[in-house]
Amino acid sequence: MMQKIVSEIGGIGIYGVVSVCLFFAVFSAAMLLAFLQKKTYLDSMSVLPLESGERRPEVKGRTRDE
Amino acid sequence: MKIETFKYDNRIVRAFAIATVVWGIVGMSAGLLAAIQLFWPAANLNFQYITFGRLRPVHTNAVIFAFVGNGMFMGIYYSLQRLCKARMFSDRLSWLNFYGWNAIIVAAAITLPLGFTTSKEYAELEWPIDIAIAVIWVAFTVNLIGTILKRREKHLYVAIWFYLATAITVAVLHVVNSLEVPASMWKSYSIYAGVQDALVQWWYGHNAVAFFLTTPYLGMMYYFLPKAAGRPVFSYRLSIIHFWALIFVYIWAGPHHLLYTALPDWAQSLGMAFSIMLIAPSWGGMLNGLLTLRGAWDKVRQDPMLKFMVVALTAYGMATLEGPMLAIKSVNSLSHYTDWTIAHVHTGTLGWNGFMTFSVLYWLFPRLYDTKLWSIKLANWHFWIALLGMMFYVIPMYISGITQGLMWKQFTAEGFMQYPNFLETVLQIVPMYRLRAIGGTLYIIGTFMMAYNLWRTAKSGVFVPDVEAQAAPLSEQAHVDDKHPWGHRALEAKPLLLAFLATVAILIGGAVEIIPMYLVKENVPTISSVKPYTPLEVMGRDLYIREGCVGCHSQMIRPFRSETERYGEYSKAGEFVYDHPFLWGSKRTGPDLHREGGKYPDAWHYNHLENPRSTSPGSIMPSYTWLLSQKLDVTSLPARIGALRKVGVPYPVGYEAVALTELQTQANKVSTNLVTGMIHADADREIIAVIAYLQRLGTDIKNAPVKPAPAAPAVKAAAEANTAQAKN
Repeated sequence: MMQKIVSEIGGIGIYGVVSVCLFFAVFSAAMLLAFLQKKTYLDSMSVLPLESGERRPEVKGRTRDE
Repeated sequence: MKIETFKYDNRIVRAFAIATVVWGIVGMSAGLLAAIQLFWPAANLNFQYITFGRLRPVHTNAVIFAFVGNGMFMGIYYSLQRLCKARMFSDRLSWLNFYGWNAIIVAAAITLPLGFTTSKEYAELEWPIDIAIAVIWVAFTVNLIGTILKRREKHLYVAIWFYLATAITVAVLHVVNSLEVPASMWKSYSIYAGVQDALVQWWYGHNAVAFFLTTPYLGMMYYFLPKAAGRPVFSYRLSIIHFWALIFVYIWAGPHHLLYTALPDWAQSLGMAFSIMLIAPSWGGMLNGLLTLRGAWDKVRQDPMLKFMVVALTAYGMATLEGPMLAIKSVNSLSHYTDWTIAHVHTGTLGWNGFMTFSVLYWLFPRLYDTKLWSIKLANWHFWIALLGMMFYVIPMYISGITQGLMWKQFTAEGFMQYPNFLETVLQIVPMYRLRAIGGTLYIIGTFMMAYNLWRTAKSGVFVPDVEAQAAPLSEQAHVDDKHPWGHRALEAKPLLLAFLATVAILIGGAVEIIPMYLVKENVPTISSVKPYTPLEVMGRDLYIREGCVGCHSQMIRPFRSETERYGEYSKAGEFVYDHPFLWGSKRTGPDLHREGGKYPDAWHYNHLENPRSTSPGSIMPSYTWLLSQKLDVTSLPARIGALRKVGVPYPVGYEAVALTELQTQANKVSTNLVTGMIHADADREIIAVIAYLQRLGTDIKNAPVKPAPAAPAVKAAAEANTAQAKN
């Protein structure tokens, strides 16, 4: 009974509807933003981890197993 | 074009890396000792500081905040500098972050065994440490944003968005959930009570998983996986959707930890719906990672670092599919309070966080020491042992969880409980606890192998404290940029705007849950017979919190016949209005205690706490002999009453003056009761307070004034018809 009373707070049902609408709005906005990007830009961003600007070769030496 | 030369700071990365390995071993060992106690309770050596209840938070805090926390800082400090093409904003802040964070962990490792705990899961640390966490987190955030602002790379790579979301959200969660009123240096009371406390706690608890264990590690995945595979991330587009959908949705899902409890139904349904939606962004991220290896799977065969990474991503995928499934109410009714949850979280922590951390460590050490990994063979051995360990851990926990869940719900053909004695269901799963400990041991052996391998790697090379790098300053790059930057691209060049929008994204979900929480506060039906705890019960409850009883005993009877038959009347929201903090628990290694009051005589509790096996043969509960000998410290009683009044418990003004006398009167009564059970115990011992508290549990509604039963609708209708006929 207690649960029933609490679940019937005035207008609380709207929270569920608003929440789902908000999710679809955010999801759609992210989709839109993502798909409107130029491929050249996306390619340039995705290689960023590979360009650290370091002035030395990555690894030298030998492993014990070699 | 002007080119600047600068240096990346490797010292701070090394410091965090070493701390990660050390705390990993400590945290996992604490977990193993706790696991052993579940089939061999005497493994605590009757030493109160390492009993299961106190050790469990040491384990969880150590692996989450010490192992993963240091691992996260290690990954962020390494990748952020390189993605921003800039040294960290401030070396001083970097070291403040390192020493401060690790001092907090040391403080946790001391205070939790001493029993200084708030009892709120993953937020157990007491208020002085909470303040320290906030200060150090601000130092980290300033350093993060400062580095981003002085970057030489105009656009922020996806990993950095995840780091920003982590910094902002953890700050919000920590502050809101840790609001408490101190009663002494090491004791405080949550400002929230009962249902509100539960909702805030699991909004925090769930998002600690999301924004401490997941988002920073996703950022690391987006950096270190392409590095190791030597190829760009599979889809940068997907990463944009992944990021926004994940941070927006995650924050809503907390209530799935409270399904079928006294939490309002709408909040439970909201939590369930958003949990299911979470599959989409989570799997988007996992697939983005795995598909990055397209065409490079041959490398996985040779490179142990990639092996660890692939298993980490697979475990992430499994855990993020299983999580939403467990959030479905009907599944949760079986899984909740059982070891199924333990299996689920360990798929995530051992698989996702553990393997990802190992992967990054194996990748970093050779680079920090300008050498190659000492032994790839040993790393491969680590991989297989850790994988085997993980399997030996999670599979027995699945079996145990499902077995026990089904046993709790089993009725005979005649309609009686098949297993009315809770202990029967525990004894059934003890063999699984033994297997789990074997799994944990294997996993730790693997971690030791890694520590040795990394140590030998460090010895075979020369540490490079600063790495020289070159890049053009931002001002020089502006003219080569696209003249029409728009959409997400513009956002990636504006870190403060991106941080602001990420904050809005996480606040929406938080607000939708928290605002109704205040509505609920005004609408939780008060039960007139529910009264504040007496002074002795307050002290007993605080001892219950100190001993970590909530780690094994829930205080929340769900509205199922299988539960009301076993424990009694289901729990109502209005019964918890004076519970600061709530003690609903999330695991039943022992039975629920919400209707424990009056079930057994005081002497039974005394004997049970002294030696649980004397009353319950085969019980795996530890003996609490120290409660029998230690004197109850009542010096802080007035401060405790005062603090409880401040958080809303209606003790009359000046009650502190009589509280001690009331406490002694009630203690003498308990002591007298014990004499009838042939037990002679001094009234000033801790056990007296614990017994008083246990005997109070769930009894208030039994004292409710008896009202005439409302007439059944059919009877009412017939009576109305009769009245109408009589009138006619």
